[in-house]
Parts: sequence; structure tokens; C-alpha cells
Amino acid sequence: MASLKRSVESDPLAASISSKVYVRSTKSGKVQKIVREVYLRQDIPCSSKLCHACAATTPRDASGRAIPPVLSEAPAGTKLLPHGHYLVPDTNAFLSAMDLFEQESAFYDVVVLQIVLEELKNRSLPLYNRLIGLTKSEDKRFYVFFNEFRLETHVPRLDGETVNDRNDRAVRKAVAWYGKHLKQTKAKKVPAVVMLSNDRDNLRKAKDEGILAYSLADYVKQLKDGERLLDMIPETEDGESVKDRRPGQLFYDEYYSMSKMMTGIKSGLLHQGTFNVSPYNYLEGSIRVPAFPKALLILGRENINRSVDGDLVVVQVLPKDQWKEPSTQVIEEDAITKNENPDTEEGSGLVSEKERKALQEEVKRTHSKTTEGHAQPTAKVVGVIKRNWRQYVGHIDQSSVSQSSQQGRKQDSVFVVPMDKKIPKIRLRTRQVAELVGKRILVTIDAWDRGSRHPTGHFVRSLGELETKAAETEALLLEYDVQYRPFPKTVLDCLPKEGHDWKVPTSIEDPGWRDREDLRGLGICSIDPIGCQDIDDALHARPLENGNIEVGVHIADVSHFVRPNNAMDTEASIRGTTVYLVDKRIDMLPMLLGTDLCSLKPYVERFAFSVLWELTPEADVINMRFTKSVIKSREAFSYEQAQLRVDDASQQDDLTKSIRTLMSLSRHLKQKRMDAGALSLSSPEVKVQMESETSDPIDVKTKQHLDTMSLVEEFMLLANVSVARKIYDAFPQTALLRRHGEPPATNFDELANQLRVKKNLTLHVDSSRALADSLDTCVDPSEPFFNTLIRIMATRCMMAAEYFCAGTQAYPEFRHYGLASEIYTHFTSPIRRYADLVAHRQLAAAIDYEPVHPAVRSRGRLEAVCKNINVRHRNAQLAGRASIAYYVGQALRGRETEEDGFVMKIFSNGFVVLVPRFGIESLIRLRDLAEPEPEATFDAETYTLETKGSREVKVELFQKVRVKVTDQKDETTGKRGVRMEFVKAY
Amino acid sequence: MPLDTSAYSLALLRVDGRRWNELRRVHAQIRTQAAADGSSYLEMGHTKVMCVVTGPSEPGARRGGTTGGAGGGGNNAAEVSVTVVVAGFSSVDRKRRGRGDKRNLELQSTISNALAASLHTHLYPHSTISISLHVLSQDGSLLAALINAATLACVDAGIPMTDYVVACTAGSTSTYAANDEDADPLLDLNHQEEQELPSLTVATLGATDRVAVLVCESRVQASRLEGMLAVGVDGCKQVREILDRVVRDKGRKMVSEGTVERGIGLESMDLD
Repeated sequence: MASLKRSVESDPLAASISSKVYVRSTKSGKVQKIVREVYLRQDIPCSSKLCHACAATTPRDASGRAIPPVLSEAPAGTKLLPHGHYLVPDTNAFLSAMDLFEQESAFYDVVVLQIVLEELKNRSLPLYNRLIGLTKSEDKRFYVFFNEFRLETHVPRLDGETVNDRNDRAVRKAVAWYGKHLKQTKAKKVPAVVMLSNDRDNLRKAKDEGILAYSLADYVKQLKDGERLLDMIPETEDGESVKDRRPGQLFYDEYYSMSKMMTGIKSGLLHQGTFNVSPYNYLEGSIRVPAFPKALLILGRENINRSVDGDLVVVQVLPKDQWKEPSTQVIEEDAITKNENPDTEEGSGLVSEKERKALQEEVKRTHSKTTEGHAQPTAKVVGVIKRNWRQYVGHIDQSSVSQSSQQGRKQDSVFVVPMDKKIPKIRLRTRQVAELVGKRILVTIDAWDRGSRHPTGHFVRSLGELETKAAETEALLLEYDVQYRPFPKTVLDCLPKEGHDWKVPTSIEDPGWRDREDLRGLGICSIDPIGCQDIDDALHARPLENGNIEVGVHIADVSHFVRPNNAMDTEASIRGTTVYLVDKRIDMLPMLLGTDLCSLKPYVERFAFSVLWELTPEADVINMRFTKSVIKSREAFSYEQAQLRVDDASQQDDLTKSIRTLMSLSRHLKQKRMDAGALSLSSPEVKVQMESETSDPIDVKTKQHLDTMSLVEEFMLLANVSVARKIYDAFPQTALLRRHGEPPATNFDELANQLRVKKNLTLHVDSSRALADSLDTCVDPSEPFFNTLIRIMATRCMMAAEYFCAGTQAYPEFRHYGLASEIYTHFTSPIRRYADLVAHRQLAAAIDYEPVHPAVRSRGRLEAVCKNINVRHRNAQLAGRASIAYYVGQALRGRETEEDGFVMKIFSNGFVVLVPRFGIESLIRLRDLAEPEPEATFDAETYTLETKGSREVKVELFQKVRVKVTDQKDETTGKRGVRMEFVKAY
Repeated sequence: MPLDTSAYSLALLRVDGRRWNELRRVHAQIRTQAAADGSSYLEMGHTKVMCVVTGPSEPGARRGGTTGGAGGGGNNAAEVSVTVVVAGFSSVDRKRRGRGDKRNLELQSTISNALAASLHTHLYPHSTISISLHVLSQDGSLLAALINAATLACVDAGIPMTDYVVACTAGSTSTYAANDEDADPLLDLNHQEEQELPSLTVATLGATDRVAVLVCESRVQASRLEGMLAVGVDGCKQVREILDRVVRDKGRKMVSEGTVERGIGLESMDLD
């Protein structure tokens, strides 16, 4: 009788086949046991240039190319390893000190083991990606050795052995193998193979097995600039001192276990959301959860329980007797925790006396009030799902530095105050306090355990002196995560080879001319801000015989130069947008394209993507079409020049006439938009004037609004809407569009109430139309700026507009609330926005100019792109604003002026004043009013603050006040900021 | 959890340690069921299937569901009817696939058509060759394994055929959306690779380049298809070698054991 034999044992190859068994749990909570085959082999090279045996068996890909060896034949040595060495770090070395490995001064010739890469991927995807980036960099010489697939280094898991122990054993075995293997090369100087680990147990076992192993700190000490690098080793490594702390010293409640949180969320008892800190009070945070229409408040250090702004946390709602009102007080961290000592944390409990006092006031207030319904539900953080920690820019708090550490080299704890006020102080241990004081530095948070009041972090690098232009600009870019490094060579390789000499091909037969319309004969011109180099758009208008007008919007044809999926496209999609700072522009595309080949410069021929309409004189669209074209712009105007020409009746040339036509059409378009309910919002915008030579800021001007600006704006909006319709028709699932969600009515509650109480005005927020109309009625005849002020405040109640993929939303959700348009996209600035570039590709496919590229058709990919550019777009705006704020501070340096301002927000111990002249707002605290701090009564019902005693002042919301504006270097944040002093109330 | 297929470019190694042009371990046995007309058992990596052939025999009363009949089926040639049963325990998640499952029906008709092209069905008019395939374990390349097992069982059943119908899968090292022109082709994909990468199944008639089956259900650039197909056809040749060795080994053993008599034309066959 024949029977099935066990196949594996009978097979001669069986010795080289192993299997990997692991257990994973799916999203739905199912547990799966996965068995995978592993084929063990002996032709995986060690990749050292010393080894000839491996060079002979190096693997080749399908086209016969081999991977050259990576590790240098003469690696760098250290004090203890004169013959040079290769490093083999284990997982926790990468997990805790990735910054070290990215250093340029050390950490070359590193062997990354497969098992380490796998573990790292499971633990932290961003770190994994950084490591992959390192392995791709040619000069760092990082080699990934697939130890699990090499017969000699494969380690099966033993009975009863934990996964971690097995992995550690695999690392040690690979290190041992490397050592033995390199000895066989018989080279004169055989490099040592060093294991790097922070795991004490692993180090001890390595020692027992005779393997050379160092902890990160021990290794770094041998290096030349070890002192500096030592600071980059994270704090948690000296774990013992923290762990051995007496139990009474735990400041915070323990987090719930993941499974407890998951069941809690499922059953609706716990809620998950992103933690946001109030910009005015570091002890107050809020969290929006889907279950409730209004945000939950999180008050006080204990309830915030170690979460940092941006973390994804789980909260539990507190009982009703603990519900409170959002604070009406300004609480700044540096004012309250000024005197804390970074070294000693014993003595006082978690909540210091001062903090307690600040909270007491709060409680008193809520208890004294009998009015119902004001208290908001509060919650407490019980766990963190995902930390959103990044690198933070800050500076060392001078007051936390002890005298002795100013001179010595001993390790010392200091506080770093992040630039972002929402981030708590970070405790940092460093040996180079003396050098770092007064510098802008980059730090990361490593951990925040229950025994420590503040999070602990480590130093990454120094950006330079405080208040130097270079350091502050870099700080700003880092803080907003702007990619500012020069374009790598792979990107520059994608540029046209002709460089600046590139021209539109003269022969119409050229493939570049395929399906392009020749629009060189049209009187096209561009209108942009002064000094604009990246000209995205140009316009023309000409009368047609039937009395209608042909209008064309011509957009730089960037998609002709940036092909999908090449290195340049990838880089642009990561950068997402060009970032404009006051003195600097960080481009999305290389200069050659942005300011020359794509830019629609005057007098030269350029490729363009044109939208052409036939409009009636009343600006009704008769028909429209889209085409790739070649244009020649007649002139590049600035807004001011164009305005002068239009206003000057003696100018009767064709170009001026066509601008006048456009102007009249744009007025019709604007009226139509307004009738549909478009909002005219406002934000305080100013411009910093620079001295032309030194580029030092000298003055601040508010931006003028010219009719020519709205001319360009109207036609760009029209083009965007037209394109959005077209690409949505062609790609209902994947069209890249932009939407602006309708803000929930509750967002306006506060503002509506303020208006009602103070000015007896009503704000209707049922639709954008109603809002637009009621905003128009919000006027104070005696104060023209009042309306703008309300518009600024209303703008802050809105949601942010976002890019999205058409398939992810239902059609009614496409609406752009602010523009009152059913559908909208970005099409008109492909040089500086990636979204526009995608829209260009989609439109080109929609008009059958080119086949659809998979990258613009794959919905998953587009969603990822949208997610990224939404973040980048927002960061770019914030960075731009921060840059202006910095320069406004610099421009005011050493000056003292009196200006009019308006009270925007009022607290029980201070108020915020907006000065429209400079576009700045600043907080004036009661204690700034007079010395000693005057006593004050605050009426939250009527938004009035009245002081008594040392100075008698009555301040109300929306009130016009006179303030003295001076500059002041804020000692705590290290920022030069504007300081306002209250002079009088009108 | 192991790395995914994107790690290939780091050292030209696939998720299970193979190179781009390597097959998984193929293990096959024939005549595993003594009572059946023909039977086989085949493993390609962790994909395990068994096959039983009954016939050629008189067509019984038609049962509903045994679709996939091909090869004329009428009066002049034998009908090749294939049933595929996927065991509930064959994949990680226990899942029951019903008899009417569309994927199953497609597998059945593909196999049936492929075999009908090679089997000399015209020798057996008015009869049925029924092939029952059972999937015991799945780890990618299922269709290829089923075709190979069915071929072996048909050989065992002694049904005259032109040549082996051998199959294997081929893929590409990067996804469709990555649109990487330099992607390497891959041979014999396992489950994880099939999930993440574009792939196709190709079956050829023996060692020739004549393609009997070509199934591609994923999206891939046409420019990459040629390389994938070439690698797949090359893999089929390797599979044929392996299957042929299994058949010869078994035959040799049976002759030496005296189970069968040495047939005509077998004199030249080496018996040790």
C-alpha cells in the first residue's frame, strides 16, 4: 500500500530549508499563525571590499548587474580599535540613537542585519525609513546583511526562548560569523567587528561568548568628537536611575493597557482623539472626539497625563462635578515653573504650589457662578495610542543652568524651552552646557515616564547663535518640517540637458509640439507681485466678432518637464509646495524650471496649458476648452504697474485695453460669486520692507489691495473651477480636488455671543450666504476697522480647506464653503504647488493629450499625496507667518511707537490686542499694567475686565485701545518679539 | 513580521531568501492512492495539492456542479471534467469555499481546457476523464500547482498525452503603481508576493515554448510582461524536468519491484 511520505525529510535539500513561524493579530482581533518558508543559502556576500571569496559569488539581478561591495577595505579606527572596524548595531541602538548614525563625523561602515531591520520596522516605521535612506546613501556605507537567509547565521528559535532573546542571539551569531569570515580573507589589517547594543543582558552574553561588544556610550567615548556625540545618546539609556526611583515618587497615573483601551473605545466608555494644547494656557488641552459635538476639555497636569500636543490619545470623561469652563486665564509655563530644578524632582508633588494656586482660581470661579450650562465636560488622558513626537527647536533655559556646569565637562541636566509654546519644557542631559547656552538647538523627546514631571530628551544638533538670521531661519524651517536641503543629484539629472538654453523647438514637427496649439500670436501678459520670478500664470482677452470675448488663462506647463515617478517628481511630491519666507524661498522644483524654463517670462516662447473661454460681456460662460499650447507673453506687469496703466486714460494700446476688458469681466465674476454666498474673509497681512543691500528689515507696511489683484484672482478661480469640473467628469474616483468643509455651527457660538452681548449684532451661520450677509452688517459706523476685525475672528472659526481624492467623499461634500463653489481644485500654480501638477496631468489625460499615468490613477497613491500636501501646505503657511512675525520684530528693533489696537480676546488676568498697522497681536497681562499687579474683576458675561488699586482701567472686548509697541527679547523663549504696553482706552 | 517585497532591492533577495530566478522546493509523488486509476501529490513550497484521476470511464449520471467539462465532451472525444476542492484548513483563515464559488469554477475550467489540449481525448469517445483536485495547503501559485498535479495523475492513469502540461508563476519585483522600468522578473511567487506584486501563471506543453495557459489577473505595464513571460516559460522547463524525474523514478522502482512488466521500448531505460 502506497502512502504519503513526509516530504521534507526525504529531500536532500531539506537542510537548507527552514521556516519562520510567527503569530500576528488582525485588525478585527483574530490571531493568526503564519508559517513562511525560508531558503537558506551560502551566496549572500559579506560585502567587504577585502573579501575576494564573496566577490566571486556576488548576486546578479535579471539584467546581469551585480551589487558592488559596500564596506570599505580600510574602515576608520578608534582609540581601542586601531585596525579599523565594522559596526553591527542591534535594534535598540537604532531605536534610541538614529540621530547618531546619521552623523557625518562618524558611524561609517555599518552592517545592518536583516533581523534588526525587521524589528525596527515593527517598532517604528519612520526610523525604518530613515535607516533605508541611510543604506541607500553612497558615502555612509551601510550594508544590509540578510543574516536570516545565510545558512551559517540562521538561528532557529529554541524551546521556551523569547523572540527577543532569539533575535539577540541571531545578532551575536552574525557578529561572530563576520569576525571569523573576515579573518579568512588574510588581509594585512583585518577590521574588527563590533556589536553595538544598549541592552545590558545582550552585552554580557556577548562578552561570555568572546564577541567584541560595546554599549553606545562606551563606543562613542572612543571617537574623536565623542563628547559632542555623547549628548545624542538618549536619556532612557541611563534607565536605572529612573527605574530605581522610590515608588512614592511617581507623578502620573499609569496608562491603561492597549487591550483595555481598545475594549473601552469599542464599548463607548473611552474616546480617542488628537490632543491639542490651548495656545494661551499650557495646562489646558482639548480633544475632539466623534462621540460629542463639542471638544472635551482636559485640565491640569494630572489629567493631561504626559501627553504632548499632537499625540493620539485615549480619554475618559470625568464625572459631572468636575466639569469646568474653559479657562479665562492666561497661564504660561515659564512663568509658573520658572524655578524648577531639572536635577531634583523630589519634594513637591506633581502639581507645584504655584500651579495649584492657578487652578484654585479657576475652581473658585466655576463655583461662584450659578448660571447653568456653562461648564464643559472634562476628561482625563488614560493612554496614548500614538506619540506624535518630532524634533523640536528650542534653547536652553538660562535659569536652569547651574554655575558649575558653565565651566566643567560634567554631565548636567538642563531644561530646553521649545519654540512652540504648546510643547512642554524638555529635560536634557548634556556635557556641553557652556557651548549650548544662547544657541538655537534641535532636540528630540525620548520618553516621558511616570516618575518625571517633564519629558526627557536628547540633543541633536546646534543651529547657531540665537537671533542670527541663519539660525532663526533654519529653526523655522525645521519647526515646520520644511525640506530645505539642496536638491540631490538624482533630481537635477531629470532636468533638460540644455539647461538655461532650452527653447521651444522651432520646428512644428518636433514631438514637443504634438497636439499643441500655437497661441504665440495672442496678446498675453502676466500680472504678479513685484519681483516675482516664478510666473505661473498669464492672461489674455480679445473681442470676438459676435460681441463676446475670448479670455484665456495660460498656466506654465510644468507637467511637460516633470514626468511622473521620476526622482524630481518624487521630490516635488514630498516637498508639496514652495515655501515663501520674508527673505528666502524654498522651492518645490529646481530653480532652472521654476524661474526659467517653466516660468512664463515675457518676450520668450514657453509651453503652457491653456484654458480658453468664450464669455459674454456680462461674464457668462458660453463655452470653454482646454489645450496644451505655446505662448509668448508680451509683458510681465506687477500689480502696481498694471493698475497704473488701467487708470491712465491716455494708455490706449492693445494690452492695456485687454486688461481693462479683463477688469470689467472680473468685476462681474466677483459679483456672481458674492451673490452665490462667497465669503470675503480677512487676515491681517503685512509686508516687511527690506533694505536692498543688507536685506535688513526696515519697515512694516500693510498690504495694499489693488483691483488688479482681484482681476487675477477671479480668473484663476474661474480656471480652477472649470478644470475641477472637467477632471471630475473624466475621473470620478481619482480626480484631485480641494474642498472647504462647512464649519460646525458651534464654532461660531462664542463669536456670536460676543457680538450679541457687546454690539447687539446677530451672526447667522446657517449657510455661507447667511454668514456673508451677516458679516456685512457687522459694522460700527464710528470704527471702520471693526468689520475687518470681525472678519479676522470669523476666519479663525473656520475649518481648513483640504485636498482630497474625489472617490473619498460624496459629491455634496465637495463644496468649497469659502468660495461657495460646488467643486474646486488647484490648477493655476503648478510651479509652486504639487496638487496643481497632479491636476495638470489629470487634465491632460482628460483631454486625451496623453495616456493616463498609473500614478495619477491609483487612488491609494493619490490619497497619500493628498495627505502629505495638506500637511505641507499648512506648514508652509505657518512658516511664512512665523517668518513675517520674526521680521516684524526685527524691524521694530530699538524703536518705540504708539499705535491703535483692538481687544480681540479677554482673560481674567490679561487681554489680547491686535495692532492692524503691524498685523501683530500680543497679550497684555495685568501684571504688565502696573507694579504691583492691580486687582481686577472679570465679568465673563459681558467680557469686561476692570482693575482697581494701582491702576484703574476698564477694558472691554472689541474696544479700541492705544498701545505702545516696543520690541523685546523674550528671555524665556529666546524670540525677539513685540511687546505692547497699554496706554489708554478710547 | 518579516520585511515586505520592497526589501528586494537591498540585496536582491526575496522575502523567503530566494533569488529572482529560483523555484521553491518542488516535491512530487505519483501513485499515492493504490485504488485510483491515477493519483499524485505535489508540493510547491507550502502549497500542497493532491489529485485523483478516474477514467476514462463511461459517463455516469451527470451530477450538478461538476462543470469544467471540455475536450468535446460529446460523442467523438472524452470529456475532461475537473473538480477542485479547497480544504477549509488550507489557508490561514479558515474559510469555506462553496462549490459554486466563481474562482473555483474558473480554476476548474482553466485546468480542464489546458489538459484537454494535451490528452488524446479522441481515443476515448463517449467517456469521461474525471480529475479531482484537493487543495490541502495554500501558499501562492495555486493554479500552477493544480495543473502540475493533474498532469502527474494523468500520467499515472496511463492516459495517452502529447507532453506534460507544466505550469508555474512569474511576477515582477515592484508594484504596478511604482512603475519601475528596471524591476526584475520573479519566478514562482509565494502567497505574500502574490498579494503585493503583479503576477501571472503560465503553463507550457512540455519543454517547448508553446503556451497552454496564460492567466494574469493583476495590473502590470506591458513593457514588463515580456520579461515575466520569459522567466515563467523558463520555470516551466525546470518544472518539467522535476516532474519527469518523479515519473521515471517511480517507473523504475515499479519495474524493479516487479509490480509492472518491463514494457516495449523500455529496454533502453536505465534501471539502476
